Amino acid sequence: MSATTTRPPLRGRASAAPSRPRGPAGAQNGRAKRVVGRALLALLLAVFLLWTVVPLAWMLLGSFKSAVDVTSSTPKLLFEPTLDNYVGLFTGANNLLPYLWHSVAASVASAVLATVLGTLAGYGLARTRGRRKDALSFWFISTRMAPIAAVVLPLFLMFRLAGLIDTIPGLVLAYLSFNLPFAIWIMSAFFERIPSSLEEAAHVSGCTRWQTFWYVALPLSRSGLVTTGVLCLVFSWNDYAFATVVSGPDSQTLPIAATQLVTQTGVDWGQLTAIGTIVVLPMVLVGLAVRKWLVTGLTLGAVTGE
Amino acid sequence: MPPAPAPPPFTRRRFLGLGGLGLGAAMLAGCSSPAAAPPPAPTPGEDLWRRFAGTTINFISENTAPTAAIAANLGPFAELTGVTVDIVTLELQSLVQRVALDMAGGQAQYDVVYADPYQVLAPYRKGLVDLRTLVDDPQYPPLDQPVEDFIPTQLRAAGTFGTDGALYALPYDAPTMIWQYRIDVFEKYRDRMARDLGFDPAPGPDSTWEQYHRTAAWINEHVSEVPYGTGHQAKQHDSLMCDFSNVLWSYGGDYFADGAGVGLTGSDDPGPCLLASEEAVEAAEFYNDLVGIAHPGSRGWDWDGVGAALRAGEVAMAPNWHEYAAANEEALPGLIGYAPMPRGPVRSANIYGGTGIGISATSEGARLGAAWLFVHWATSQATQLSNLESSVGGGTPTRRSVYEMPEVEAATSRPSDLPNMLTADAVTAAWEPDRIGLRPKIPMWNECDTAVFTELSRMLAGRQSPRAAMERSANRIDQIVSRGWVA
Amino acid sequence: MTSAARHAPTRSAATAGRRFGLTFNGRLMAPGVVILGALSFFPLAALIAMSFSRVRLLGGVRLEWAGLDNWERAFSDPELWRSWGLTILWFTTTLGVEMVLGVAVAVALSRLVRARGVVLALVLLPMFAAPAIVGLLGRYLVDPTFGLYAWMLQGAGLDGDILGDPVTAFVAVALMDVWEWTPLVALITLAGLSGVNPSVLEAAALDGADQWTTFWHVVLPSIQGILLVALLIRSMDAVRYFDVITVTTNGGPADATKIIPLRLYEAAFRFFDLGYAAVIGLMMLVLTIAIARLFVRILSGKGARP
Repeated sequence: MSATTTRPPLRGRASAAPSRPRGPAGAQNGRAKRVVGRALLALLLAVFLLWTVVPLAWMLLGSFKSAVDVTSSTPKLLFEPTLDNYVGLFTGANNLLPYLWHSVAASVASAVLATVLGTLAGYGLARTRGRRKDALSFWFISTRMAPIAAVVLPLFLMFRLAGLIDTIPGLVLAYLSFNLPFAIWIMSAFFERIPSSLEEAAHVSGCTRWQTFWYVALPLSRSGLVTTGVLCLVFSWNDYAFATVVSGPDSQTLPIAATQLVTQTGVDWGQLTAIGTIVVLPMVLVGLAVRKWLVTGLTLGAVTGE
Repeated sequence: MPPAPAPPPFTRRRFLGLGGLGLGAAMLAGCSSPAAAPPPAPTPGEDLWRRFAGTTINFISENTAPTAAIAANLGPFAELTGVTVDIVTLELQSLVQRVALDMAGGQAQYDVVYADPYQVLAPYRKGLVDLRTLVDDPQYPPLDQPVEDFIPTQLRAAGTFGTDGALYALPYDAPTMIWQYRIDVFEKYRDRMARDLGFDPAPGPDSTWEQYHRTAAWINEHVSEVPYGTGHQAKQHDSLMCDFSNVLWSYGGDYFADGAGVGLTGSDDPGPCLLASEEAVEAAEFYNDLVGIAHPGSRGWDWDGVGAALRAGEVAMAPNWHEYAAANEEALPGLIGYAPMPRGPVRSANIYGGTGIGISATSEGARLGAAWLFVHWATSQATQLSNLESSVGGGTPTRRSVYEMPEVEAATSRPSDLPNMLTADAVTAAWEPDRIGLRPKIPMWNECDTAVFTELSRMLAGRQSPRAAMERSANRIDQIVSRGWVA
Repeated sequence: MTSAARHAPTRSAATAGRRFGLTFNGRLMAPGVVILGALSFFPLAALIAMSFSRVRLLGGVRLEWAGLDNWERAFSDPELWRSWGLTILWFTTTLGVEMVLGVAVAVALSRLVRARGVVLALVLLPMFAAPAIVGLLGRYLVDPTFGLYAWMLQGAGLDGDILGDPVTAFVAVALMDVWEWTPLVALITLAGLSGVNPSVLEAAALDGADQWTTFWHVVLPSIQGILLVALLIRSMDAVRYFDVITVTTNGGPADATKIIPLRLYEAAFRFFDLGYAAVIGLMMLVLTIAIARLFVRILSGKGARP
């Protein structure tokens, strides 16, 4: 690890130190302090890396362990890898495939829908001015923040009335309740950053407002679209609270499947770590793919991350 | 990529129409359902089992051993009836949530319901079909053994409420807490223990809780094969109330006056809570001491945890549900023995945790018919026998006739083809009227239960004395009960 | 939620839009606003109605007027207030640790030149994991018989069941939250740090300020706005998600981890004491709206933009 190498501006500062009107002892003292400081930061980073990575690595390893190894009382680093857990998940009485399908269908559909509607509304919000904008902004953000536990119950009753319980569209709609305001927020943040001169130019050259949106604003916000889509996907894929209430035998998702492995006759930790891997891995991959724009996304546009 | 489902039909008209009716109340009120439609009548000469061929029903169950066995063995039912059964298995707490929400919806998603007597049947019995109407209906195949074949206590405890004469569920499983211990440890150390302790430590009908405690402490000290003498399901969970209730009753304490009656018959208004009595406090003090010398994992274990610890050789004894026997036998063949719970000053109490399966009152038409065929089949003699034989560790029978079958009787001692039957002697004794422990069958039990196990958990964590735990539990239960129950 | 629902152009949705002269922006926002309106207005109305009612479930939901009963019970229930206290403790400890640790990690990362991308990617991993899986994984790691972390702690002389003791259980579930969300704080802070003007740092160095002084008096003030945003983002989610606790301790032992959303969930979905649950839900909603107001105020001040 190279945490001790400073970035250019800091390096400049280091070389400037001896020329300062200070005694050589003072300079040495300062340098020593700096070295210690850097070593401490490097150590911190190393420990933090272990702290974040070890649990996930342990889960991944566990998913390839036999039933005996996965619950061995002294942790096993060396073991004979097996695919039994994964095979068991997809062949047993409770096949994981439908869960996987429900998860994919509901979260992809919800992400797409949220991104499309969120882009439209986000553009509208970005170009709205005045008190109405503040009121709308506040409303959007408060729906995103509404406590899940409080919302789930009335949502259940509503969905029951509309026949949406235990259906994929029901899940999609439930996920929209948090994805849509989120998408509106980020997309409006991305649209806000487009210089108004560009749109004015388009307008002058005869574009309608829709054409301006479609041919100017949208292409300039491609990174925003991708970020929004991916983050909405992550949120809905990871949901557990809504799915416990809204889903049923024909729409259970992967996180539900994971908790169902905790049964009366004990927990099958091998299969559980395998499900955990199946749930976490795809989201890690897509999440890392958009990490450049994550900050904008996750702060609802409050911070620009580029 | 799957096709994006059509956006939901929230048109402006609907939006306004619903909103205009005044708040959400109107929206909620729209849910009430018309009377359920009866199943279509059979044609003369039709095979009564195949009347509903082609129907699909949903069965929601706790993730118990019998359901695992049934799920693995649905073939014969599909062959017999042509009905497809989708089984959803959940942990009890989630199950109760789903069932209650399902009944609230007015249209059944789950036709067959695992009706825990305390958390489902008592509060939501009005949402269950009276099975007597189906038992006697000539349009259905007759039961091969009469309803009276079910063990009478279980039929009343798990199937009925009050004296309305209705039968809401047929006994489906019968887990009961008994004393489980390591035969090898007791064989090896029996003489030394007897010498040191001054009594025969072997689990038997006259063993007492006091002796259990001292034996466990002795094992902690002297036995190297297992680290701890006893383990308990003392997590802040339903299991803690179950584990404690055994001690409570054996010391003469109870939740309400006429505890046995409230347990067997059920009541909407059980009267004041008696947990603050001296007997209950004494029981709590003993239980606190007992868990104090138990495996330190105890406070984080529910029944799964204790079962796993016993099988992993972490503890030498534990009170636990008898249906774990098949799993025990697989992990430690021949090494786990079973006995009824130790005696307290008053009696030996073994908490019964059996459950029946019933039919949701919102199930209708062919699904209602198919649901009854399934309930009938799943609790029948033949199915209970094949459950016992299941490789995924089915439950134990709830019908007396099954226990009388020669192959079942033969399996009660080792070597056994039906390992769950190894508990038969202990559990049959545990089901005797003077040994069975029945928790209050009241509709608000779920919340009372939570109050009890939360206060007990505080006691075990050293946050309050046993007396305070009992007094606070009694207080909270009185408040909960006084609010009454609306369903 | 309410005020905006009133102002929002729901009354003139899609088709009616043109007839009533809805603006272009309004038309873009209409579909999103209608869906969000349905998903937030009805639940809110239902919550309010239920909070004044006794709710009957069987045979269709019915509300019976109960006046202020539920409100009185909630305000006089010591258990509920205890939960609020615990929620504040949860809130301050998790957020406090996440902020301090997140900033430290971000500073360390910002000093990294080589391999920064890889290290950042590894550091970010936990935030993509489904919270329910995080909880289950946590259980696997601290299990007294086969948990990796439990085994390490036993090696260090710390015996006993981590999730069985009130104090260690609280610490454990809080650390699971810290594990998952510190990376987010670090990421946001890192974005802020990259916006700190290098010449300011140089000037500070020329003044002879040591690193700590520079950080405290120069860097920290200039990323203040972004830290506030990170804090708000975390604070709105801190009480929103309760999946981790649900799958680990479910509120125990001795109610040591029963924060408000769990109590709400328990009242609603275990006891079906829906009127009472609605009161708790509304309490949470008020808190949420207060945070949302703060958030919007800070955003419209644009103080956060580097």
